[in-house]
Amino acid sequence: MEAPIHYHDVIIIGGGLTGLRAAVACSTAGLDVAILSKTHPLRSHSVAAQGGVNAALSNNKSHGEDSWESHAFDTVKGSDYLADQDAVLRLCEEAPRAVLEMEHWGTVFSRDEDGRIAQRPFGGAGFPRTCYAADRTGHNLLHTLYEKALALKVRFCEERFVTSLVRDRERCLGCTALDLSTGDLEGFVSKATLLATGGYGRIYARSTNAHINTGDGAWLALKAGVALKDMEFVQFHPTTLFGTNILITEGARGEGGTLSNGKGERFMARYSAKAMELAPRDIVARSIQTEIDEGRGVGNEFVNLDLTHLGRERISERLPGIREIAMDFAGVDPVTKPIPVQPGQHYSMGGVDVGSDCRTSLPRLFAAGECACVSVHGANRLGGNSLLETLVFGKLAGEEMVSDARGQPATEAGTIDNALISERGRIERIRARESVANQFAIRASLKKMMTDRFGIFRSAEAMLEGVRALEGLKASAESVGVEDGDRAFNQALVSLLELQGMLTVAESVALASIWREESRGSHFRKDHPKRDDERFLVHSLATLEGADLRLGTKKVRLGRFPVEERRY
Amino acid sequence: MILTVRRYGNKGSRYERFEVRSTPGMTVLDALFQARDEQDDSLAFRYSCRGAVCGSCAMLINGVPRLACKTQVSSLLAKEPGPKLARFLKDDSAVMYDGSKEVMVEPLPNMPVLKDLIVDMTEFFSKYQRLNPWLMPREPEPSREYPMSVAAVRELEKFTDCILCGACYGACPVNGENAGYIGPAALAKLYRFRIDPRDALGGSRLKKADAPEGWWACRFYANCYHVCPRSVPPNYAIGKARKELRSEKEAGE
Repeated sequence: MEAPIHYHDVIIIGGGLTGLRAAVACSTAGLDVAILSKTHPLRSHSVAAQGGVNAALSNNKSHGEDSWESHAFDTVKGSDYLADQDAVLRLCEEAPRAVLEMEHWGTVFSRDEDGRIAQRPFGGAGFPRTCYAADRTGHNLLHTLYEKALALKVRFCEERFVTSLVRDRERCLGCTALDLSTGDLEGFVSKATLLATGGYGRIYARSTNAHINTGDGAWLALKAGVALKDMEFVQFHPTTLFGTNILITEGARGEGGTLSNGKGERFMARYSAKAMELAPRDIVARSIQTEIDEGRGVGNEFVNLDLTHLGRERISERLPGIREIAMDFAGVDPVTKPIPVQPGQHYSMGGVDVGSDCRTSLPRLFAAGECACVSVHGANRLGGNSLLETLVFGKLAGEEMVSDARGQPATEAGTIDNALISERGRIERIRARESVANQFAIRASLKKMMTDRFGIFRSAEAMLEGVRALEGLKASAESVGVEDGDRAFNQALVSLLELQGMLTVAESVALASIWREESRGSHFRKDHPKRDDERFLVHSLATLEGADLRLGTKKVRLGRFPVEERRY
Repeated sequence: MILTVRRYGNKGSRYERFEVRSTPGMTVLDALFQARDEQDDSLAFRYSCRGAVCGSCAMLINGVPRLACKTQVSSLLAKEPGPKLARFLKDDSAVMYDGSKEVMVEPLPNMPVLKDLIVDMTEFFSKYQRLNPWLMPREPEPSREYPMSVAAVRELEKFTDCILCGACYGACPVNGENAGYIGPAALAKLYRFRIDPRDALGGSRLKKADAPEGWWACRFYANCYHVCPRSVPPNYAIGKARKELRSEKEAGE
């Protein structure tokens, strides 16, 4: 059967905030843009972001006048100085414009008494600069950008799973994608392609992430010869709901929520006497895990996040979603009882290596948002900066693609034809396999292993065992087949394709974590508990050579803010 | 527990029973995952956030449209009363089930089934899109934010909370009878722009659905509100819109 080949100026892989914002930029410039997403765009994980988006609007003057420079300083310090400072300056300088633009396009932000966008305090920030829409900020932003994209008649190719990027010697030419509804493999030819696929959180068992966050973009980039950067930096959110690990926003602490252990002690006083519950995430997560590990948790499993003193009215106004989540998923009403919380994987600081212009090392291939590593978050992201990154760098990636795609002749289909033949062969071979192992059991083992060995506290010994376990899992994944014989909505096939990527992405996290013999931001080595700027003030890079991952390094772009010890 | 799933595919339609180990806090989505992971990898259903915010997993559970990720198996087996709904299914499920140990899962009604629990939402979304659901901001655009009162935000949030999961569309008796009806979710979205103080179109927004298959088709069964996982009240929006259109027409006569 002849596979259809689609031609567009720009192809965007991923329909979350970054992908939509980039599509809006391309479409506004008059380009023909298509979004490929493995779900409907509104099901993207951006929808789950709760607490807010940072911008130095200075609407809340309780701490004086804020400035974007001060936002940049907080971000660089929060990153444990691993962020590239030119990119951070751009992020923070653009922030007020990005937030106001979303407001002008329809996002319903929460307001202060003067009718301005309300701002709340967040961890690691010197000013209350987090703008929010109650605790549904991601949902509100995502719906607004989806609406904007509809108004611009952006083409959506929903339920398409991209199986490979297509390239020749010099550049990216497009991709191949499985139409989930039919099972047909299709070619997409473009003048510029953007990876905006989100993070790889689901390689962990305890994760706030949506089930769909399987690191697909990172895997596609690796296969296309593009490096992954800083993969060892995985953010563990301090407060995820015990049991399901659904996110309980930092906004809960921003509104005044407190943490206490099994003895009722407000333990943050021991770890960060000044910032207390609003220390950055890496510090609060480690503090909670230490309490639990040393037997001071509640039932050795969790600690309590107490909101009861805020009162029913404030909880209902500012944190209505948190109240629903606690009631629906833990049977606890935070108006009367504390919420049981434990740390869980939350965000992927590492990702596809790009410069501050979102360009990868492969011409015409771009990456932005959580799947990319610009890097604006360095070793630890501040709450409220990821939504901001999607807006600022989504727009920027879109504009860069516009300048590349304009005036380019259309790409020939020849290379895509060959790619379709080889991808179809690969998929048919997988389908033809006799299944001797259960892919879902392998996935579960991977997740548990990553949580146990590459979690909040790491050590060489445990990690080396983890790498050996990974090799075993990769080998068993080779003998997994698909029982489902259907072509339409063959989710078992898609899950298996996801799993192949997850295993290699996990391996990149593992290798970089073992290599980095220091503790910085989210990466804490029990065997190397100090930061070591002499050896490790540098980004890690992982590339695929044949079937093997190789590690290298890349310089950190320092600048305005001198590297200091990080205290809160 | 037994998870009974209405399957649909190449071989036609059938009900299939899966024996599932129930665990504390297990949701219907968890049960579906367990059945798929351990027993039949061809069992198809949509999923993403598992936290009741993305809207992927609306389906008919024990006869009520709801999100699988938000519905606890234990509360179903304990026969905790669900919402009281006006009759909306053309034919009740042909299969009897024992609600004390069995959970019945079927695809969302009023949409064509593609495979098992996956339905075709094309029509649902295209009706919504036809209403131009995006802000047309008033001129001139301010250099800062458009000022908005806390009260205005509170009113808007009732409708911006919609996640377009389609549960209301599946529960609406009017959608069941009249395939042309725009449906509760899309109308609630349209009303959200009508009441947005930043919008330039004002009352003329409502004209987009001033048709027999728009605002006027609703019969106020309120199933939409009762099944909404975000407590959005489309019935309230429809009532307000009708009232506004009616008084405008009276004033014009």
